[in-house]
Amino acid sequence: MDALKDEVELLLKNDNLGRTIKDVRNTLDLLINARNKVAADPQAAPMGLAKLQTPAKQTLDSVHESLKKINGRANKYSKALDKKFKDKPLPGTENDALSSHPSLINRAIAMHLLREGQFSVASTFIEEAKAHPPHPEPTAGTPNPYLQEAHDNEVANGAFDSKKLQEDFAEMYHILHELRENRNLEPAIIWARDRSDLLESRGSNLEFELCRLHFVCLFVGQDEYGYPTDSTEGPMRAWEYARREFVPFSRRYAREVQQLMGALAYYENVADSPYRMYFFNDSAWEEVATSFTREFCSLLGLSADSPLYIAVTAGAIALPALLKMQNLMSLTRAEWTTQHELAVEIPLPPSFHFHSIFVCPVAKEQCTDQNPPMMMPCGHVVCKETLDKLSKGSKFKCPYCPGESLPKEAKKVFL
Amino acid sequence: MANLASAKLDAESHLLLDQTLLQMPLQLARRNLKTAQRYVERDIASVTKDLKAAVAAATKGSATQADALKALDKMIATMKGLEKKLVTLQEEEMKIHRSSKARIEHLEELYGMQSLMDVKYDGWSRTRLSRLLVDYLLRSGYAESAALLAKEKGIEELVDVDAFELCVKIEKSLREGHKVQEALNWCQDNKTALKKIDSDLEYQLRLQQFIELVRAGTSKDGGDDVVHDADEDGDQGYDTAKLLQAREHAKKYLLTPPAGSTDIGLVGRAAGLMAFDSDTEVEPYKTLYSQSRWSDLAALFLHTHNSLYSLPGRPLLHIALSAGLSALKTPACHSIYTSVSSNSASSTTTVCPICSTELNELAVNVPYAHHSKSIVENDPVVLPNGRIYGRERLKKFNEKVGTEKGWVRDPIAGVSGKRWREEEVRKVFIS
Repeated sequence: MDALKDEVELLLKNDNLGRTIKDVRNTLDLLINARNKVAADPQAAPMGLAKLQTPAKQTLDSVHESLKKINGRANKYSKALDKKFKDKPLPGTENDALSSHPSLINRAIAMHLLREGQFSVASTFIEEAKAHPPHPEPTAGTPNPYLQEAHDNEVANGAFDSKKLQEDFAEMYHILHELRENRNLEPAIIWARDRSDLLESRGSNLEFELCRLHFVCLFVGQDEYGYPTDSTEGPMRAWEYARREFVPFSRRYAREVQQLMGALAYYENVADSPYRMYFFNDSAWEEVATSFTREFCSLLGLSADSPLYIAVTAGAIALPALLKMQNLMSLTRAEWTTQHELAVEIPLPPSFHFHSIFVCPVAKEQCTDQNPPMMMPCGHVVCKETLDKLSKGSKFKCPYCPGESLPKEAKKVFL
Repeated sequence: MANLASAKLDAESHLLLDQTLLQMPLQLARRNLKTAQRYVERDIASVTKDLKAAVAAATKGSATQADALKALDKMIATMKGLEKKLVTLQEEEMKIHRSSKARIEHLEELYGMQSLMDVKYDGWSRTRLSRLLVDYLLRSGYAESAALLAKEKGIEELVDVDAFELCVKIEKSLREGHKVQEALNWCQDNKTALKKIDSDLEYQLRLQQFIELVRAGTSKDGGDDVVHDADEDGDQGYDTAKLLQAREHAKKYLLTPPAGSTDIGLVGRAAGLMAFDSDTEVEPYKTLYSQSRWSDLAALFLHTHNSLYSLPGRPLLHIALSAGLSALKTPACHSIYTSVSSNSASSTTTVCPICSTELNELAVNVPYAHHSKSIVENDPVVLPNGRIYGRERLKKFNEKVGTEKGWVRDPIAGVSGKRWREEEVRKVFIS
């Protein structure tokens, strides 16, 4: 990296057209000088011009010279670049499974822009994509992409409901903005209350958490807009709020509500009380904002972080390993995108694991819908194919314990 | 321990996608320099010539003072013009180098991070995504969105919006305007570079010009004077002037196919074209007359443009995305059964990016990731309905929804779902 930096620094400081311009200006000076002399003295013309020849040639040569020098520097930089990326070829593009679905990629991008709150870019993009729909290109996996265009052109023909999505995300950003910037819980609480049943059945405490935070704010002496009020009034207002709002929570969150009410007893020195953690939690706002985003996206059936971001990041992490594999496989003329399963394991950080994975301990293969995991009465799990092989239809022994069972006693399980 | 290893960030191998990031400005700088060179050569040659002539005239004594002044003024004007042109080019050059510097610094940040879990990596990777998106948008011809996105993200120095502007314009003039002139000008500007990569773009453009001339010459209804055509020469209404022009054009441009051309018969076929009307059903002439040749030309231009700047054949976004889809995809992502470990039904799990609407259909055609070991939550238990949960997660969910003591509910079914006695939850062994 440093080598590259040095080269660019030289290009910026010394070896650029500034050099050439200087030489051009020298020539100009010579010419203007000569002209002045000739103008002043009519007799000097032949002499002056003749005298001009050699120095003019010199300066003109140096113009060429400087250009050569700049070119040389650019070449050096180019070599340094080549050296840096010599062992980093880009993966081959022959088997790009995505080129046959440009509309799907466009849809993913449009949704990404919307969920990132870049509404103006998103709408410009959707307009442009509508005006020039992309052209699917055939690839190995999809030799005839045009056949699929009907469902593929959602962005182009407007079936992709960007408006609805934009409204949804606009609401989300409005609520988040109020939460983060203005410390205003009101819009979030209204949102959560409207979906109270839904959130509750999902096992989400969002509504209660928001209300609790509101209680805390009042308690430590902030009014609805986060401005400090007379602190002695705080606990009183919090108590009023609790009496008014906490009734629906009293059954499910009895313990938490009790704790909050208990804190009221320490209203004079809550910072030293056992209830301290509820009242002085700096990350509370960020936590609430994060859990709000998650619930909001989940209710739309979307993941909380942009899938495009996660996938591209995972892709960059996976590329070196994939590339190595591709090189190996091209020797055997197999292509990695036409297989059902990648040939090598790609180590991704734990934050990139979402589904549980079941690999049959006997067959060493991942389970699929066609070959689901089956649990024997002893509690051990193998895949269906293994089970069929082991049992051949009759009573068999579990490969992991002495337990014996009939194949029909095994039960399909879901991870 | 395994987690630590998989989160390690190896900056050097992580730069795979970023080669073009630095190559592009270098190519732009080189082109800029070439232009400068062309100006310099031309103007200096002219000044040298003028000087020589002036000296010769002066020494012969045939030149007056006025003549000498005139000659000098001409040289001065030439050099001043050159200076002005170079100053403009230098501004451009410095802009390019500054962007190179910004890019190197951007890549260098990566060397300061050790872990993929680093918050800084998250930010860096988001910038990378924006870069790749802008690149994709530019390549797809969505220049306005690209410029807007670059601006909003403040990454103008990391992307090449300006460089693509011309490219997009030319591509459009071919695809939509059915005009070759702009593309031909571009070929002229990049003549040597195109020769180096054996491009036959210019030849194809010239061929198209020829086809259009023949089309204009043979079309019965396309001519200006349809009515009179029949009387003139009795020549079936052909526009002979146009056809003659076509022949001249072919002589001039088409006789020698470029070195890179693999299609030797092309000239012959093109010549045969003159014998057929533009609505002919006869192959290969029908194909040559076809309007779809224009979009082929546009595609060829894009392809040539991209290889000239050593851009990869497909957008980098495709490369990163298809690798990512595969690395993340599991058999569960397109299963007909609800995934217990990642779904949108309960707040105990997060939605997997491949299952999310954005990418789900795209991922249908890519292979899923290889795993040699099961990955399950700690202490897995199974409900009577066959769903497997980590004991802790199940417990937490039931606490949150306030399930009655001694009972258990399935998070996917929610509070209104069936409940079971705790004893019915069984331990399951997954190895």
